[in-house]
Amino acid sequence: MMDKNIVKQIRDKAKELLSNGTIKCVLGYETGTDGMNARPAFIYEPEDVDRLIFDNTCTHNLSTYLRDKRENPVAIVVKPCDARAINVLLGERQIEREKVFIIGIVCQEVVQVSWGELSHDAQMRCKICNQHTPVIYDFLIGGPVDESAPKAEPPANVTAMEGKSSGDKVDFWSGQFSKCVRCYACRAVCMGCYCTVCFVDMLDPEWVGIKIATPENQMWNTIRAFHLSGRCIGCGECARVCPVNIPLDLLNMKMEKEVGEHFEFVSGLSSEEPAPLASFLKDESLGIGE
Amino acid sequence: MNKITSKKDLASWLDGLMKDKVLIAPAFVDNQSVFKHVANVAEITFDFKNTALSVKEWFFPATEPLFTIHQKDGDTTLEPIDIENEFVLFGIRPCDAKGLKLLDKVFLGAPTDTVYAERRDKTTLVGLSCLEPSPQCFCNSMGTAPNNADDVDIMLTEVVDGYIVEAVTDKGKALLSVAKLSNSKLSVPKIKCPTELQVKNVPEAMKSCFEDDYWARIADRCIHCNICAYVCPVCHCFDIRDYPTSEKTERIRCWDSCQSPGFTCAAGGHTPRPTKASRLRQRFYHKLLYFPERFEDFQCTGCGRCVALCPVNIDIREIITDVPKLGEKSATKA
Amino acid sequence: MQQKPNPFIPYMSTIKSVADLTSDVKLFNVELDDPTVSDGFNYHPGQFAFLSAYGIGEAPFCLTSAAHRKAGIEFAIRAVGTVTNALHELEEGAKVGIRGPFGNSFPMEDYKGKDIIIIGGGIGMAPLHPVINTIVDHRADYGNLLIINGARSPQDLVFADEFDVWAKASKANVELTVDRGDDDWKGRVALIPDVVVDLNPSPKNTMAIICGPPIMIHFTLIKLKDLGFANDQIVTTLENKMKCGLGKCGRCNIGDKYICVDGPVFTFEQISHFIEQF
Repeated sequence: MMDKNIVKQIRDKAKELLSNGTIKCVLGYETGTDGMNARPAFIYEPEDVDRLIFDNTCTHNLSTYLRDKRENPVAIVVKPCDARAINVLLGERQIEREKVFIIGIVCQEVVQVSWGELSHDAQMRCKICNQHTPVIYDFLIGGPVDESAPKAEPPANVTAMEGKSSGDKVDFWSGQFSKCVRCYACRAVCMGCYCTVCFVDMLDPEWVGIKIATPENQMWNTIRAFHLSGRCIGCGECARVCPVNIPLDLLNMKMEKEVGEHFEFVSGLSSEEPAPLASFLKDESLGIGE
Repeated sequence: MNKITSKKDLASWLDGLMKDKVLIAPAFVDNQSVFKHVANVAEITFDFKNTALSVKEWFFPATEPLFTIHQKDGDTTLEPIDIENEFVLFGIRPCDAKGLKLLDKVFLGAPTDTVYAERRDKTTLVGLSCLEPSPQCFCNSMGTAPNNADDVDIMLTEVVDGYIVEAVTDKGKALLSVAKLSNSKLSVPKIKCPTELQVKNVPEAMKSCFEDDYWARIADRCIHCNICAYVCPVCHCFDIRDYPTSEKTERIRCWDSCQSPGFTCAAGGHTPRPTKASRLRQRFYHKLLYFPERFEDFQCTGCGRCVALCPVNIDIREIITDVPKLGEKSATKA
Repeated sequence: MQQKPNPFIPYMSTIKSVADLTSDVKLFNVELDDPTVSDGFNYHPGQFAFLSAYGIGEAPFCLTSAAHRKAGIEFAIRAVGTVTNALHELEEGAKVGIRGPFGNSFPMEDYKGKDIIIIGGGIGMAPLHPVINTIVDHRADYGNLLIINGARSPQDLVFADEFDVWAKASKANVELTVDRGDDDWKGRVALIPDVVVDLNPSPKNTMAIICGPPIMIHFTLIKLKDLGFANDQIVTTLENKMKCGLGKCGRCNIGDKYICVDGPVFTFEQISHFIEQF
């Protein structure tokens, strides 16, 4: 379902920026081969801007591509959640602000995306979203949104998992991780996973190893969740891309809930505030021996 | 005159097979159909299109020991792997069965991978025709068809309250000796996939567009995970590494993919495919040019899994359609 | 019917001796434990085998011994990674595994009657070593033999103790060069491609066999072409990451070839037709 006005504004802005040479590439969305769901689009020429679309199937977090394209100035189409990802990347000095022209979209919602199927069910992140306007942008498309509705509750599936017994949780996650085939799509799609050599690929020393088996899969997925704590912006792409339907976003949502409670911190609201678990402040109290 | 069995008789036949063989069949787990060991017929789902992971994992597992090394009291011995059971793989689709035939060219070619060969020998394939191919399917264009029985031991095609049963090989006939079959005038319908592609000219066209920007443009959105390689019934790259424990060491083989960054990195630093574009290009060149040059068949059975599961919609059908046009473009340039 | 052997299981072998060739290269002489296997283990110059350090892993190495000498299976191994460093820890008597021999070989029969130029850089001498010894041991079958051997420094020349043997009795013209000399070094200090130009060999009835770091091969190739060598007169042995040696794991795939099965020996004529240039 496309809002023609939003699409026209994106195309016009893209054409303007490409034509005047401000940027080399527009990272946006186009319709995929099933004719229903969007896919990432990289537009290099002004005459190609009509490929760009925007609708509620634009699930991809395009900020994950910014590091690869950081040599040249680019423009990027972002939803509010994606915009927080840009703040995380800026805060971690992975991209330069001057080289990214942010086209922010006031987003209504994104639906479940599965090739060949058109869904009408909103994604979990949209059900709990209270930030429909991007926190960072150079050009905003879409009107102001009334955010006065009460703050969203934690996701129902996180609360349900918290309510399970330890034994049930262990059983649940062993079952899920027994399915993992270590395709690393979760890592590949995540804007926060950009290490040149990921811990799981290190063979000397070997932290996890190449064996595709439940204990190793468990190590892989839980350590990744820890490495993202305080940095994850909850786009849920990791769970969407998993070919064996492991609800990975549950782990990340839980970690963000914990970080929120312990540090009163929400990732990506600003590019200045360092992530609590990824930073060390000299004058911070450790709360030991005091 | 075809043979037919009722749904009830099929269930009891499968039940009987489980007495001395391990039955692998499709089941519904976590909102997905998967092939798994089933302990009783009630676990089987007969109503599925195709599984996310192909059947290759039953012959070429994601992780398996190649042999075991025992080092004790200064003595080193090597212990081969034993495949103890016999298997029946029920519900395999023609695209996956063709995939196995293509994997055979790689693994059974001299020197034979004996563990893979033993698994193939000890497994009887009971296929299930596709009456309703999915939108992503294009097996007709890749040398097989939704009801092609060539690559299985037994082929079943669902009809009203039963299945047409075709015994394809001697192995299949042997397994059917205890099945309750009757004669039927029903015939196996011809089914076609929704997409038809022209692949014949692709290999030649690929030879002239190797340096084309096209591959870098597709690689722009590729995130370089391993989904396409792992769900594909015919991708076969693997890694080998030793895993010692206090008792023994296993030399393990695991799935790997030409898409992963370290795939061609050698100790000493030489990295032949450093860029994403070169790795993405390798995938399609291997499937549509190199494998056909070596084995006279495409390394693709049209199952459509990569099409449906690629997180960023890199679609081999689109590439197959685009490449001949690129070939023409560079031919006119020359 | 005899069961086919599992091609992933190595032959149990024992290290007979370990010698230091340079500060980071050791020469391993290994014997297959089973005499039947040992008798049937026939290999030719250019082929390689996998050597297993049990519990660590396995890696491919060129067979540096000349089989006809029947003096044990030798590997010249530089310590660069996990497996090679583990092998360097092993001593005489240690158990290792050998899988092979794999790959194609230099067509020594086709080289008979020709002048041969061997150009080796650093550890690249290892696969050329059996070629040289085959020619030296069958001297009358081959024409002139020119050996150009270069290394980073004098201490990095790998088969230094054989230079005199090769040079003696006009067996070969041995030209050495280093990138960096020392106080005792009286020889050339030059890069291999420049030595080739200086020696100005004629391409007439000659085969040039090169092995070494990719950049050395690249520039030497250019100089040889300038001198009039045709692509099918220049041969090399390619080194890529290999895991199975059987043409199955996909790592060494280049075009429709697997380096472990169709190579590692290729003429530059063949390489020029590869769609992908490494």
